[in-house]
Amino acid sequence: MSALILISILGVLMLYAGLMAPRKVLAPLGIIGLLAALFLLRSGWNVNTEFFGHMVQFDGFGLVFSEALILLTVLLFVFGVDYYARLHENVAEQYALMLFSLVGAIMLTSYQHLLILFLGIEILSIPLYILAGGKRDSFRSGEAAFKYFVQGSFASGFFLLGIALLYGSCASFDLAVIQAYASAPIPGTEMLFLLGLFFTIAGLSFKVAAVPFHFWSPDVYEGSPTLVTAFMSTVVKTAAFAAFYRLIQYMDLPKALDMMLVVMTWLTLFLGNIVALRQSQFKRLMAYSGIAHTGFLLLAFLGRDPLTPSVLFFYTVTYSIATVGLFVVLTLAKRAAKGDENIRIFKGLFRSSPWLAIVTMLLLLSLAGIPLTAGFVAKYRVFLIGIESGFLKTTAFAVLMALVGIYYYVIVIREAFTPRDKGPQLVVSPLNWLVISFCGIAVMLLGLFPGLLHL
Amino acid sequence: MEQEVITAIRLVPLEHYVILSLLLFSIGIAGVVFRRNTIIILMCLELMFNSVNLLLTAFSAYHSDPRAQVFVFFIMLVAAAEVTVGLAILVMMKRNVDSVDVNQLNRLKW
Repeated sequence: MSALILISILGVLMLYAGLMAPRKVLAPLGIIGLLAALFLLRSGWNVNTEFFGHMVQFDGFGLVFSEALILLTVLLFVFGVDYYARLHENVAEQYALMLFSLVGAIMLTSYQHLLILFLGIEILSIPLYILAGGKRDSFRSGEAAFKYFVQGSFASGFFLLGIALLYGSCASFDLAVIQAYASAPIPGTEMLFLLGLFFTIAGLSFKVAAVPFHFWSPDVYEGSPTLVTAFMSTVVKTAAFAAFYRLIQYMDLPKALDMMLVVMTWLTLFLGNIVALRQSQFKRLMAYSGIAHTGFLLLAFLGRDPLTPSVLFFYTVTYSIATVGLFVVLTLAKRAAKGDENIRIFKGLFRSSPWLAIVTMLLLLSLAGIPLTAGFVAKYRVFLIGIESGFLKTTAFAVLMALVGIYYYVIVIREAFTPRDKGPQLVVSPLNWLVISFCGIAVMLLGLFPGLLHL
Repeated sequence: MEQEVITAIRLVPLEHYVILSLLLFSIGIAGVVFRRNTIIILMCLELMFNSVNLLLTAFSAYHSDPRAQVFVFFIMLVAAAEVTVGLAILVMMKRNVDSVDVNQLNRLKW
């Protein structure tokens, strides 16, 4: 709770610092503030404190996800030092908006009341609409912002309708009451409840980009500034998954909705992996790979096993670390190629900067789920949970799709290791080098010793 | 006074409120999906939010529970914030292409 307040104040401070302080202090200010917030969260460990009259509950689940979100934001801020170095104005606003978005994300991990869920989603999204349009003169950035805004608000509308219908059937916004209602519905209102839950889940599926609610993600990923894309595919996705799982964790879902989740898993796995095969733009490839990973995460949801939270945590964190690293490499390669985002810009990377090429390979292998990397352990655990909770066919399909997925990651690796006389001349600042190396080493270590990270 | 308002709301059966709000919501959806003018799209988004407000108020009166009415205030607040951002994005778009037609937005594949 105090962490939540600290981050909100930090955002406001950042705006003032943008007016008065030199630009050099902005990122350090943000990082120090976030680390302080992390410390405050640590002190709330194992206390299970409730705030706002049971509306927010910081339990183990919420705390561990909040910590991961804060650490990811720190990583992105370190990346931001170099990324925003060329921007002439409004640097502080970019950091501040990211902090505000993080506040929403933390609310999403620990809500106990649908009002907080709604506010969390909106606080998370509204700054992102602005951030997506961060390059003011770029047409593509504006288009991404507008598409994200319209489709995001559209989804919020459905989500709100769902909340209203849930309230109509249960007469409460409290998560515990709704969960109790699901096990013993009042006759005559089941249809309202079913529709309400359907729309609520649809709204959350939009945020995690599950098929058929994924259509925004490739366009928005491609048009937004790279740092914002990295933020969206890591922090936002992790928070949305935590929120999604928190909603259905202890609920006996009606049969129809269980069916819907299974169908969504199949569609997401299929479409994400198949469409990714024919992408040549790296950011679009990452968008479809993100959709594919959503599919694997949904598979972990289906059974709602007691182990699901820890699997979810491990998967989202390893996915996020690999994604952040890859987006840093992309930014550097894109600069060297004067704005091109096609995967051929990686060609000859091994010749010109071997360490970067090796880390890129590690990160891509982790996303593909090759043994000895963190991604493999994550995928393995998801499949295990799928089998244990009896979804054999879905798990088999997921394994098949994981094999298909290896192909498009390996294409990028092949580009990086194709010899070329003059590879891309990447200029790597020390901080970027640090971020990239951290991601590579973390992915490797978590693959060898998965016990380092647990819930 | 409050009791009078609630009695007045309850004069109309709950089903009518539900049907009316769903109707308004559908008009909002149709507007977002079919209209090409971005200003109209923004208005239709507002319509979707407000139809939910109506629904929540009706349920609130029927459950004799004020919490949903508080929720309505939060929705209004968020809707205002969203529209502010939406209009700002629109202005930016207008500067870049000098039009508010969504058909202009085709450089990224849908």
